[in-house]
Order: sequence, then C-alpha cells, then structure tokens
Amino acid sequence: MMTVQIEKNSNTVTMRLEGRLDTTTAPALEKAINEECKTSEELVLDLKNLNYISSAGLRVLLGTQKKMNKQGSMKLTNVCEVVMDVLEMTGFADILVIE
Amino acid sequence: MKLLIPILLNTVLVIAVYLLDKHTSWKKLPYMVKQVIIGVLFGGMAAFASGFGVEVLGTVINVRDAAPISAGLIFGAPAGIISGLIGGVYRWFSVLWGAGTYTRLACSLAAITSGFLAAGLRKLMFDNKKPTWGYGIAITVVCEVIHMLLIFLTNMQDTVTAFTFVKGCTLPMFCGNAGAVGLAIIAVSLLSHERLTRIKGSEHIAQTFQRWLLICIVMAYFVTNLFTLVLQQGMSQIETNAVITLSLEDVHKDITDASDKNLLEIAKKVKDEYKTNPDLDAIARKYGISEVNIIDENFIIVASSVAEYVGYDMASGEQSAEFEVLLSGETEFVQEYRQTSYDEGFLRKYCGVVLDEGGFIQVGYDSKQFHSDIGSNIVDATKNRHIGKNGFIAICDEKFNIVSDNEEYNGTSLAEIGISLDLQNMSEKTVYQCEVLGKPYLFGFTVAEGFCIIGAMPTDEAMFMRDASLYTSTFMQILIFATLFVFIYFLVKCVVINNLQKVNSSLEKITNGNLNVTVDVRSNAEFASLSDDINLTVKTLKQYITEAAARIDKELEYAKQIQLSVLPTNFPKNEDYGIFAQMIAAKEVGGDFYDFYKLNDTIVAFLVADVSGKGIPAAMFMMTAKTILKDLAESGMAVNDIFVKANGKLCENNESGMFVTVWMGMLDLATGNLKYANAGHNPPLVIHKNGEGEYLRTRAGFVLGGMEGVRYRINEMTLDPGDRIFLYTDGVTEATNAEEELYGEERLIAFMNQNRTVEAKKLLVALKADIDEFVGEAPQFDDITMLILDYKKDDVGGNVCERVFPAEDTALRDVLGFVEETLESAGCPMKVTMALCVAIEEVFVNVAHYAYGDGKGDVKLAISLSENDSTVIFRMSDKGTPFDPLKRPDPDITLPVEEKEIGGLGIFITKKTMDTVSYAYKNGENILTMTKKF
Repeated sequence: MMTVQIEKNSNTVTMRLEGRLDTTTAPALEKAINEECKTSEELVLDLKNLNYISSAGLRVLLGTQKKMNKQGSMKLTNVCEVVMDVLEMTGFADILVIE
Repeated sequence: MKLLIPILLNTVLVIAVYLLDKHTSWKKLPYMVKQVIIGVLFGGMAAFASGFGVEVLGTVINVRDAAPISAGLIFGAPAGIISGLIGGVYRWFSVLWGAGTYTRLACSLAAITSGFLAAGLRKLMFDNKKPTWGYGIAITVVCEVIHMLLIFLTNMQDTVTAFTFVKGCTLPMFCGNAGAVGLAIIAVSLLSHERLTRIKGSEHIAQTFQRWLLICIVMAYFVTNLFTLVLQQGMSQIETNAVITLSLEDVHKDITDASDKNLLEIAKKVKDEYKTNPDLDAIARKYGISEVNIIDENFIIVASSVAEYVGYDMASGEQSAEFEVLLSGETEFVQEYRQTSYDEGFLRKYCGVVLDEGGFIQVGYDSKQFHSDIGSNIVDATKNRHIGKNGFIAICDEKFNIVSDNEEYNGTSLAEIGISLDLQNMSEKTVYQCEVLGKPYLFGFTVAEGFCIIGAMPTDEAMFMRDASLYTSTFMQILIFATLFVFIYFLVKCVVINNLQKVNSSLEKITNGNLNVTVDVRSNAEFASLSDDINLTVKTLKQYITEAAARIDKELEYAKQIQLSVLPTNFPKNEDYGIFAQMIAAKEVGGDFYDFYKLNDTIVAFLVADVSGKGIPAAMFMMTAKTILKDLAESGMAVNDIFVKANGKLCENNESGMFVTVWMGMLDLATGNLKYANAGHNPPLVIHKNGEGEYLRTRAGFVLGGMEGVRYRINEMTLDPGDRIFLYTDGVTEATNAEEELYGEERLIAFMNQNRTVEAKKLLVALKADIDEFVGEAPQFDDITMLILDYKKDDVGGNVCERVFPAEDTALRDVLGFVEETLESAGCPMKVTMALCVAIEEVFVNVAHYAYGDGKGDVKLAISLSENDSTVIFRMSDKGTPFDPLKRPDPDITLPVEEKEIGGLGIFITKKTMDTVSYAYKNGENILTMTKKF
C-alpha cells in the first residue's frame, strides 16, 4: 500500500513516498532508509503523495531524524494537510524540518 | 281374536325391516332393490292376512290392506305399490282356493288402491317421510272407505247384499286395519325415539286449516246425516206403511168379499124361502143365521125372527139407516160386520135383499157363524202373500190366535211370536214396532169381519234405504273430507307456505346481515305487497345504518384521535436512556396504551397496557386506567402498591366488567435497577447488550379491575448499559396469518435478536413490517402497541456496523477498509475519515500487540452513525487482558527530538482525534468507546 521511489544524487537521497505510512508499511520504509542512507548527508522525504501517517510512521520518522542528525540533515517536503495535522498534533511539526 | 295374529305380525315385520335397515349392511343396498324386497315382503304379508280372515255375519273380514299401507307409508312409495299389487293379485286368484267371489273385484282393487294411496300420500304430503300414527290411521280409514265403496260399486245390481256385506264388515275392518297400521307406525316411532304427540306451538298453517276443516266437516256431516236420517226415516216409514197397508187392504178385501158373498147367497136363499114360508124363526134356524127381518117401504121392521125388533125404525140408527139404499133403487146391500144400532155392544153382519112386493128382507149373522162359512177363504187369503222380501201377513181371530199365515206361526198366538195387539189403543193401518222372534219388525194391522189382519216387515228391510244412504253418505263424506284435506294442504302449501318460506329465507339472509337481498314473491297481491313493504323497510334500514355508520365512524375517528393524543410522543433520547413507542390501532379505537414519565431525576416509569374489549368503552376505560396509574406513580409508590391501589379504583363501579392488563417498570437510570410488576400482561423481552434476548417470565398477577383485593408482587432486575427492554401487547404475538398461525414469541425474539443493534424507531417500523409480511392478506385483528427502552445505549439513534477482526497487524488493512467504507457511506469528509482511520489504527494496533500477549484473539469493531447529528461512535472490544490504555499519561510532545519517545503516542493521537474516548471492562471485555462529530 505504499511505494517508495528512491533518487540518489551524490550525498543527497530523495525518497518519494506514495500511499500510506502505517503500521504495516512503516517497517518497509525503515528498511529502505537504513539501506540507502548509510552514508548520505541529506535525506529528502517527498510526501506529496502520502496521505496517511500513523504513529508507526512517526516512529520511523523520529528514528530517521535522530540518525540523520548524526550524518547530516533530513527534511520533509510537500506534506499534505492530513499528514500535517498528525505531525502538528504530535509535536513532530516542531522537531522535523518541513518545507 | 284371530285378526290379532296378522295385525301383530304386520307390526313385527315392520319392526324387523326397520331394524334391518338401520343396523345391518342391508342399508347399503340400492334404494330400488330395498323397495322391491320390502314390497314383496309386505305383499306376502297381505296374502297371509287374506288367509287369516274371520267370518262375521257371513262376511269374511281380514286386514289385508294394512300391509301395503304400512309398507307405503313407513318404507317408501315403491314398496307400497308393489305390496298393494301383490295383495290385489293374490286376492283375485285366491278365489281358486275358496275365497269368496262376491267381493273379489272390490277387494283386489282395494288392496291395489291402498298401496297407491299410501305411496302417493307419502310422496306428496309427507315429503317422502313416515307420517305420524294419527295420519296413518286416518289414511287407513280412507282406504277402507274406498274398499267399502268399491264393494257397493262393483255390486250395483244387488245393493241389498252388498249393503249387508258392508254393514257387517265396516267396523271390524276399519278397526283391524287402522289398528295394524297405527301400531306399526307407533312401533317405528318408538324405535327411532320420536315424540308421539305433537309439540305444542309447532303447528303448521296447513294443519290449522286442516283442523278447522275437520271440525267444520264433522259438524256438516252430523247435520246432513241427521237430516238424511230424519228424511229417510220418514220416507221409509211412509213407504213401509204403504206396503203394509196395501197388503192389509188386499187381505181385508178378500175376507170381506168372501164374507159378503156368503151372506148375500144366504140372504137370497132366505128371500126365496120367505116366499113360501113366512115363519122367520124357522128360516133363521134352518140357515143358521141369527136373525131375519122384514122391512116395509116406510123403513120400519114389520116382522122379525126376534120379536122385540118389530116396529123398529131403521132410520133411527146409523148402522140400520145404511140400508135405506134398498128403498131407493138398490136391490141388494151387504153390510160389514159391525156394531148394531139397536145394541151398541153387539156386533153382527147384515145383508138385505129387496122384496118383490116392496120393502126388503134383512138377514144378520154372527161371526162365529160366518167364520166357519169362510174359513177356507181365510186360510187362502195369506197364501202367496208377503210384505216386502222378508215380511209376512197373518190373520188371527178375535182371541189373537193366528189362523192363517204364510209362515209357520199357524196356531200360535200373536203374543207368542212377539206381537202385542191392543185394539182399544192402537189404530188400524198404522206402523208399530215389535220384535218377532227376537228380530225387530214393523207391523200394522186391520180388522176385517172379526179377524185381525197383521202385516209385519223386518225393520232393517224397511229401513234399508235409510241405512244404505247413511253408510254411503258417511263414506262419501269421509272421502270428500280426505280429498279436501289433501287439497287444502296443497293449496295452503302452494299459495301461502311456499311463499312464506321464500319470504323467510330472504329475511333470514337479511337478518344475517346481507341487506342487499330483496324479497320478491309476487304470486298474489298480498305477498307482492308484503315483499314491497319488506324491501322498503330494508332499504330504509340500510339508509339509516349507512348514516349511523358514517356518524359512528366519524365519532370513532375523533375518539381514536383523542386516545392517541394522550399517549406521550416526545420520546426521550439521551445518554441515560432512550424510549420509543408506537400504538397502531386496529380498525376501530382500542384499549391499548403505553406511557412513560420521569418520576424524579433518576427514575423513569414506563408501561404498556391492554384493556379488554374494543371500541368506545375500552377507550374510556383506558383513559381512566392511564390517569390512575400515572397519579399513583407520581405519588411515589412502589410499583406493586400502585397496582393494588389502581386495581381497587378500577374495580369500583366497574359494572361492565372491563379489565386491563399492565406491565409497568421503574428504572433507576443511575444504577440500572429495574423494579417492575405484571398484571396479567405479556412478558416483556429484555435484549442484553452482549447476549441473547430473554422474556421476563416472572409470575404475573391478576389483571387490574378484574377482582378486588388482588395482591401483586414486585420484581427486580438490573439492566446493564446497552440493554434494551421491549414491551408489547398481544397484538404482536397474536397477529394471525391466513393459515391461522400466530406470529408468536419465538418469531418475535428471533427478530429482536437479529436486529438488536437497530435503532429503536427503525426497529419498531421494521417489526411492524415483519408482522405485516407474516400476516399477509389477513386484516389487523388487534391493536399493536410496542415500547422500546434502551438503557445507556450510547449508540442510540444510529446505524450500527459491526465487524470482528483477528487481533493482528495483518488485519489492519481490513479494519481501515471497514472504517473508511463505513464513514464514506455516511458522508464523512475524506479528511476526517483519514484522521479517524489513524485514530482507529492506533487503538487497534495497541490491542493487536498487547491484548492477547503471545496468543491469538479477536477484536470487534462497531461503528454507529447517528443520522441527524453526524456523530460517529466507534466501539472496539476485545477479550484480552484487562487494560485501560487511557490511564497512561499523555507523552510530552514538546520534548526535542533526542528526548522524544514514541510510546504512548498512538493512544495520544486517538484521544486527540476523537471527541470522546472512554474505556470500560465488562463481561470479560475491554471496551473502548470513541465518538466523533464531523
């Protein structure tokens, strides 16, 4: 129910998420990030086509953010309203870089 | 006595055939076969009875006719005809072995006629049923009358003999045959347990007519017969008188002629003697006469053998004066034997002969002298003479000794044969009664020359015409009466009774409610007028009924509206409880009602009741009952005390004997405690939130208003939140379909279980629809009243969708799919749906991960949507370890990334997303209820 498009550009990894990031799809994203961003300095998560996020997704985002803080940076782009609501509700909007 | 044998045998045969027909396989035979067998049996009976005759006065009397009449009247027309024919034919040929030929034809015909008559009357008058014994006897008498008339008719050339026959056998044959038939019918009536006498007041018109006709005819019969009797008696007497007198005169004349001739001869001889011998004395002696007189032209006795007569003027006495004829031209004159003028106490016979020289000579002699002279003439006088057929003539002397007659009475005195003659007091040529040798006779007498001539005739011969006409007129009148009887019966039946029956059958239909029937009997003016009148009455009645019905309908409609208006319709629907109720009245106003009211902040009272009967009285009683119950409930009484008091009040002046069944409950909304009492009402249905429904089958008390002093018990139970209680009247369970099946409690509980989550209002509509579907075409028979109380049902007023999922992450897709689908169909905005999906995912994942530990289990998710205020209620339940996720404190979302924790975030999202979230652990289930208004 979720697809991830990965685009590597030197140190920057862009991941386009499409579908839902929930309990069942979150482990897949977590795995992809761990594999693709071992050395990357910048991670861009394009959430343009992500319209759903649950706490499982948040857990992946939080873990990734903590990891990226050590390697470089991470940012979310094109966050839709639904997802934004969850991020704001949970205080994630304040700790994550959202463009 | 001998006649009793065939009479009894006939009865025995009738009983035997009757029992055979009733109790054996004989009754299965075809009708005609049975009839032929019965006909032959009774034909044999008729033949047997012919052989068992009794001879009375030279006539053979038998009861042959009884058999065909019995067969025809009791068993059927064909049997009667057949047995009549057999009896008749037997009688015809029985001449060959010694039966009388005289009544051969009459008896044969009579037997046949009897059979036909009995058969015909049974068919025509008694509707092919057995008549009563009275009719049986009457018909037999008529048959015998025909029999007697046939004897007359077939012997017209010899009516006297025929009459003798008839006279001899009329009474015994009438009695014998009538007795036989009457006895047979009574026997059968007794066997079939019928009444022998008529039931009073059940007389038919025809019978009334017949009765009065009978009275009139009997009266007419007596009057005409009296007249005939007197007339015939007079005529017979005159005739008898004439016959006797004529014979007497003949004999009288014979005697006088002989006597006159004798004396005249003597007188002529004396005249000749006198010419030569004037000694009158000697002459008298010579000729053996008593006296000789010579009378001159001056009518004076001038000479006589009796000296003292000389000088006697013949004109001075009446007797002697008769001789004057001899002076005026006659030559001879003989006078009858009579009193003399000279001496009144002295009888003598005189004769005069004219003398050549003038004057005449008169000789006289006494009876003794001339009796010996004419003795032979006297004896001859009665020879070859008789009066009528069996009458006789006798001549007796002055001492009443018979000297001449045609019979063998010669030498006997009159007194000896039975005739007492008194010449002083009896007049001649008049008919007197006497008994000759024990037989009644009529006689007359005359006296001639000292002899008495008696003419006698048997009375029955003299009165033959009278008796014959009496018999024939009696027979004819019986026949006429019988014919009239039958005729009037038919006339009355055709003209009156049949029409009356037509009118009655129409009236019966009208009485049964069909006012569209018209009476149309137009065979005569009276019935046409009656028909018109009835039709007009019915028409008017119909009009009135229609008007009245319209008025009543209108009033009933008002009543219905008033009744409905007193039932509360502001149905509460809040967190604590919800009530919805409905009364669907059958056609007219009924006595069902429901009621509910809050007694204080926490207690709500609710009830359903059913008043006995229907219509306005039931409605009024219902009003009273409702008011009383409410008043009492609001006074704060316990529910059983309310019933006791209400019962007392309803019993007061309850003349019409109405009563009401009530189920009333008082629910404490805070605790779920329900106190209730039942007064003869249907057990309510409790549908537990998480279980099956059950009927509250506590023992019901007696109905309210039925009997004073009844006690009611109070019952208690606890309703759990989400429980539902359903009250109803018997209109629900007793709704009946065309196959006479009841809707019943089974069907009801099944329906209620199946739809336990459906909102109250929709449920009642659906239930009514289910009942309607069950009942089909059959009309609603009773009021249907239903009340649903939902206790703390938070999904009150919404559609509930419920699904069970395995408590595993893999089921999440399905869970969310279910949520999305449900919300989408409820018109929930996409954005809200997504948020809610997140919230549900959090709690579901929570359960999936923790509720069952390492084991497996289910999660049930119910989504309720209220239709009017767009609120969605989620209820997620699992049977896992009791755990209240809400107790966990909310995470601090303001912490920086490095300190931020992920635990507790899910529930936090849920809490944030939903308007309310609550947790409960009940019946082994963790229940999380979430609401959201969108």
